[in-house]
Amino acid sequence: MKYRFIWLCIAMLCTVATFGQLTVKGTVKDKGAVPIPGVNVIVKGTTVSTATDFDGNFSITVPNKESQIEFSFIGFTNKTVKVDGQTTLNIVLQEANQTLDEVVVVGYATVKKSDVTSSIASVKGKELQTMTVGNVTESLQGKVAGVQVTGAGGPGAQPRVLIRGISTVNLDTDPLYVVDGIPMGTSINFLSTNEIESMDVLKDASASAIYGSRASNGVILITTKKGKVGKTRFTFDLSTGIQVMNNPYNMADAESYATIMNKAYTNSGYTEYLPNPEQYRGKTTDWWRAGIKQSATIQNASLGISGGSEKHTFAVSLNYYNSDSFYGIGGWERITMRIANDFKFSDKFSAGVTLNPRYETWGAPGNWADFDKIDPITPIYKPADQLNGTENEYSIYARSPSYVWNPVAAVARFDDYTDQYNLNTNGYLQYIPVKGLVFRTQGSIEVGDRVWSKFSPDFVIDAAHEKAEINSIERRATTNVDWTWQTTATYSKSFAEKHNTSLMVGATMEEYNGSDVWGYGEGVPNNSDSMRELNAATKNRNSGGNSWSNSLMSYISRLSYNYDNKYYLTGTFRRDGSSKFMANNKWANFPSVSGSWRISNEGFMESTKSVISDLRFRAGWGRVGNQNLPNAVYQSNIGQGFYPIGVDIVDTAFPSTMANKDIKWETVEDINFGIDFGLWKNKLSGSIEYYEKETKDMLFLKQFATYSGFPAYSTIWTNVGSMRSNGVDLLISYKDKKGDFSYGADLTFTTVNIKMVSLSSEDEKLYGSSNRTLTVKDEEPGYFYGYVADGLFQNQTELNSHTDEHGNKLQPYAKAGDIRFKDVNGDGKLDDKDRTKIGSPWADYNVGLNLNFAYKNLDLLVNFYSSIGNEIVNQNISDLYNGASLTNKVSGLDQMAWHGEGTSNSVPRLSKDDNNENFTKFSSLYVEDGSFLRMKNIQLGYSFYNKFGFEKLRLSLSGQNLWTLTNYSGVEPEVGGGDPNNGDRVKGAGFGGWNYPVQPTVLMGLNLAF
Amino acid sequence: MKKNVFLFFLALFAVLFSGCQNDESDFPSSDDPTIAIATKEIYGAPNRKFEIKAALEDDLGLKSVRIQIPELSLDKIITFSTDPLLTAYDLSYFFEVPADRGTSEALKIKLTITDVSENAIEDEINLRLDGEFAAPLISMITPKEGAVILLSSSNEMPVNFVVNDDSGIDYIQIQCAALGIDEMVQLPDAPQSYTFNKTYTLPVTAANYVLTITAKDKFAIPNTGTLNINVVATNEYPAIYLCDQPKGTSLTTDAVGVPMYFHDKNGQDFEFKYYADKDNKELYFLGQESDFAPHCFGLDASGNLIDDVTSTPIILPTKGYYTIKINPNTLSYSVAKYTPSSKVWADIANGLWHDDEAQRRPFVSVCGGGIQGADWDTWTAWVQTGLHLANNPENPYQLVGEYTLTGTLEATFTGQWWSPSWRLIQNGIGTMSPGENGNAKYPAAPGVYKVILDTELERVFITKK
Repeated sequence: MKYRFIWLCIAMLCTVATFGQLTVKGTVKDKGAVPIPGVNVIVKGTTVSTATDFDGNFSITVPNKESQIEFSFIGFTNKTVKVDGQTTLNIVLQEANQTLDEVVVVGYATVKKSDVTSSIASVKGKELQTMTVGNVTESLQGKVAGVQVTGAGGPGAQPRVLIRGISTVNLDTDPLYVVDGIPMGTSINFLSTNEIESMDVLKDASASAIYGSRASNGVILITTKKGKVGKTRFTFDLSTGIQVMNNPYNMADAESYATIMNKAYTNSGYTEYLPNPEQYRGKTTDWWRAGIKQSATIQNASLGISGGSEKHTFAVSLNYYNSDSFYGIGGWERITMRIANDFKFSDKFSAGVTLNPRYETWGAPGNWADFDKIDPITPIYKPADQLNGTENEYSIYARSPSYVWNPVAAVARFDDYTDQYNLNTNGYLQYIPVKGLVFRTQGSIEVGDRVWSKFSPDFVIDAAHEKAEINSIERRATTNVDWTWQTTATYSKSFAEKHNTSLMVGATMEEYNGSDVWGYGEGVPNNSDSMRELNAATKNRNSGGNSWSNSLMSYISRLSYNYDNKYYLTGTFRRDGSSKFMANNKWANFPSVSGSWRISNEGFMESTKSVISDLRFRAGWGRVGNQNLPNAVYQSNIGQGFYPIGVDIVDTAFPSTMANKDIKWETVEDINFGIDFGLWKNKLSGSIEYYEKETKDMLFLKQFATYSGFPAYSTIWTNVGSMRSNGVDLLISYKDKKGDFSYGADLTFTTVNIKMVSLSSEDEKLYGSSNRTLTVKDEEPGYFYGYVADGLFQNQTELNSHTDEHGNKLQPYAKAGDIRFKDVNGDGKLDDKDRTKIGSPWADYNVGLNLNFAYKNLDLLVNFYSSIGNEIVNQNISDLYNGASLTNKVSGLDQMAWHGEGTSNSVPRLSKDDNNENFTKFSSLYVEDGSFLRMKNIQLGYSFYNKFGFEKLRLSLSGQNLWTLTNYSGVEPEVGGGDPNNGDRVKGAGFGGWNYPVQPTVLMGLNLAF
Repeated sequence: MKKNVFLFFLALFAVLFSGCQNDESDFPSSDDPTIAIATKEIYGAPNRKFEIKAALEDDLGLKSVRIQIPELSLDKIITFSTDPLLTAYDLSYFFEVPADRGTSEALKIKLTITDVSENAIEDEINLRLDGEFAAPLISMITPKEGAVILLSSSNEMPVNFVVNDDSGIDYIQIQCAALGIDEMVQLPDAPQSYTFNKTYTLPVTAANYVLTITAKDKFAIPNTGTLNINVVATNEYPAIYLCDQPKGTSLTTDAVGVPMYFHDKNGQDFEFKYYADKDNKELYFLGQESDFAPHCFGLDASGNLIDDVTSTPIILPTKGYYTIKINPNTLSYSVAKYTPSSKVWADIANGLWHDDEAQRRPFVSVCGGGIQGADWDTWTAWVQTGLHLANNPENPYQLVGEYTLTGTLEATFTGQWWSPSWRLIQNGIGTMSPGENGNAKYPAAPGVYKVILDTELERVFITKK
């Protein structure tokens, strides 16, 4: 009985235990309702665990209803849930921002964010996709400390991207873009924001030295979206809206124009230009309304399909982008497709291939300034009595006495378009023979064809001034075939538990080939669309063509070591051989070394863990190069030109450029110090970095000395001069959550100081942008150089006192109301020597502020960007205020310009002759404060989950560039570099004018997932 | 306690405030600066500069001098460098009296001199606007500029001129170093007009002489006028000019081509090509360019060529082109009419600028300086249609137009991109093959001129309208 009782007790206890156990089932999804496979599911305090399956489902038995289950997955914040008797749990994991386990691309490899020893900033694709932009770098603005992005308006325009300022004066300043490991040059216009998974910006040389000779302007690594294991998922993203084009100036109407011009004429002693201005009242030609659309549409759409199994994942996307120009014709259209397949044949062998076909077409008139500049009295069309019925459709327009060609007619004639077709194929094979050793080989072929066509119809608007008596057709087809092949072997090993090492060695080969063929002809029988072919040309046919090539072969290596996740050391080495240089300097080495100390992992920091979640010091040194010079500078070239010899014009040849066998890369060396921190469980995190970099052996195109016998216009590339820069990058992020309300803020701060250290001679002066900028030793490059406008002469006494010590007038032609130019050197003369520094195109600071808020399913984000301390040359001042030309002026200029003592100290008197050279002398009159604060983006969104048959449906309303605060009176404060074709990229920076503005844009967005 | 705190902050702010004072270095006290004015009374006149002269000194250093004439809107401060300190400065400041001021005005010029110790002194100068600043006017009767004296006929050089001056003439002086002439005529009565007339004898060898005539007036600030006359004494004529103007006509008022320079010369045989624009055209030949005297070749009563200013003209009977030969030594000449065979630039009024050479049609305009609307850009020459020449309907070899000259003239008559072009070089020659001769500069009084480009003669005539 006694045993029976004991057995009964045991049986009952077992029953109780069995009855206490509970099987819990459920699904784990992300915030977008996408199931997450492979999530670790652990019963807390036990060893019981499982993982979610392909569809995110799990089933786990817990000891009792009080048990707690913890869900964890890389890239997501861990979540612990008390069972509380429930048998079904549907879990939503929140994606973790900037966790230390995130993966960062570092060039030919990826590492954990916590293991990075260099200056690398990462931005996720979804952050970039909040804006609808043609070029994704515009969306990068303000999001990365140390990166200055200057927007460019206009369909297909490319923003200027500077990573830690400039490191060259004569070559391109754009960074190198590497897409999925393949270098793609200095433009990513071809890439849709929807294709991007993440961007990693290699800012310092210790990070970018692995890209050697092309990394001096920094490197941006772009990873495109890949398929993930899980069920097939469809996404559809659409944003559509309008770009607004308001007239930046209030131009004079016909009566006001006549009044202004009359004043300019009479002030100069002439009779009135348009007597009785009131006769023009109500007869204004509204050119702006006639030719410029107030709004132009913009669309961005993307359809994506992704998914896969353990053996095969795929991601397919079809992307469309369209931005119309505000002329009513032309714009930019882009259709791209990306088909990515990854195969895992076994644990050892995997492969992948990505196909990326693309099509782009662009072209738009560029004469919007003429709609403001043409006089408002001229009608758009010739009056009927001036037409005889024989004119073609392009000859019915009226001619303006202002010498501005009829802009409506110019737009009607416009036929200048480019089509671009590309196919990129990128594949890899990967083999892991033993644990830790990875062999990987990757190849890419890019085939492209660009066809540019232009047709210029014949027309006669004015037989003397505005005509093309014969039509012409021109077409250029450019083909490029580029290939890249890179192979690496990586061995990673941890030993004695605390020593972690990784060694990568590899080699790369790249070749870039291009050729073009061009045809030209005149005398097409008529201007109809169907005749706009070269074969239809009957006169002056001409043709040409060329081919070019350059190649690069490199050896690369990286050694990484860390001890106990506290002390990190990374060294890289790249040896580049380039076809651009001759035997003496064909090969160059680009080493780097960097280290970090993760002090927060030290034992003595244990007591601070509750506050300091992460703290790390970093330091790095590296050397990189710049070989962005023309392909064949090592060649001597013969130029051609027509010169008068006696009375004959003779076709002559002359040595235009000479080879320099010793030409080599520009070399940039930099050192970088940084602190990364995370406080209060990374609620507050950030980094601060200081860097110094020096460019040596800078490439300059120099003229020969006269005694050499070469003509003055013969040139030779040579390595002379150096420059130095330093700066601070700062990033501070804060994020928190209170119940259903979450919020975050990122602040980025960038400052760069640049100084020329040496030029080819001590007192060399490098002028740029038509002698309006100067680059000299010990100064920043390309500063504005001109006369100092010291207000306006208000009366005769001021005029009389502007003399030298002997009474000689410094400005003998000046009258009251003209500009007083300063005798800067005090030598009693006003001449070239009085030009001085009157401004700088380089910002003192760039600040970005990115705010985001979310309450339940409602989200709001706002991005601000500012540039502080730079000046801009407002070249429009002459067009708008100068009475010497007959172009239209701003409304009310007759009262705005000086017209009596005290009426103005900034806008000179109206004058037909401008004898004082108020406008022809380049002076501080043109230089304005270019600082601005711009709200780049504001977006309000609302998401529905598992409604209407979709896993997710999000609707959003955005406004881009809606609000700008600036003192700059010109069209657009975002002004980039000068003309690279004139070597003025740096030396001509900061010149604003009638540049296509960055337009305010209003968009509606739709995001679907199913 | 509170009091102590108050005093502490008071003291602190006092120290801070004094620390915020201007940190410019102060100079020790010194004596007043001194000024020595060159003259207490200055003469000025409307549209004319006068000079303020003074010697400034200071024992420590000068800081500035301020010159003020409120009535003339002058308030000028000259600031001196203080590194190093300037202890002496010679003020020399010019100022132009505005044109609208009256000549009877008398004003004060106020000078304020300040030294670096902030000592300041003032002084005044009287300014009168009734000054007379015109130099005596010398009017040459003979010899004229460029005169040729033919030594074979006479080696005497009569010098005859008149001098005029409102404030009276103090003296006149005639100088020619090569001839040893240095003659001064002092005029104690200071007449307002004086005539000089004297004949000098020249050596018989050919030479060029420069005769310098100086005249000085009797104004408080004397004015001096000087005139240089170039004279050529020669045994043969360096050039002969064809003049189709009546005697007495001023030969210096036209810009180019009057009288006309010869076309060819062999010894003293001169050859001209000439277009008579009407029947019975009258001509003379001149031994000098600017006057009918002393050598004017015409006909005597019996129809022979003579060198005499009273001679009668040679007459070309009918309209057309002529070849005319003359020898001033043998006093012989011949006239032959001819028909030109050079290219005719017809229909230039319908010229067309075109990039395609095949479609281009010649026009003739002008590039140059001193011509209103013209510059050295052939596009401007095309655009400025007022500069385009037209065909002379009566002579296909003449292109005619009308220009407004603004000063010294330089010109090349041209079509698109200098094709065709005639460069105006010396002596009125408008040539299509200028060789090394550059564009010549012709002084011209501003005004409207009639322009003839004769492509057969390759001569340009720009005459006052």
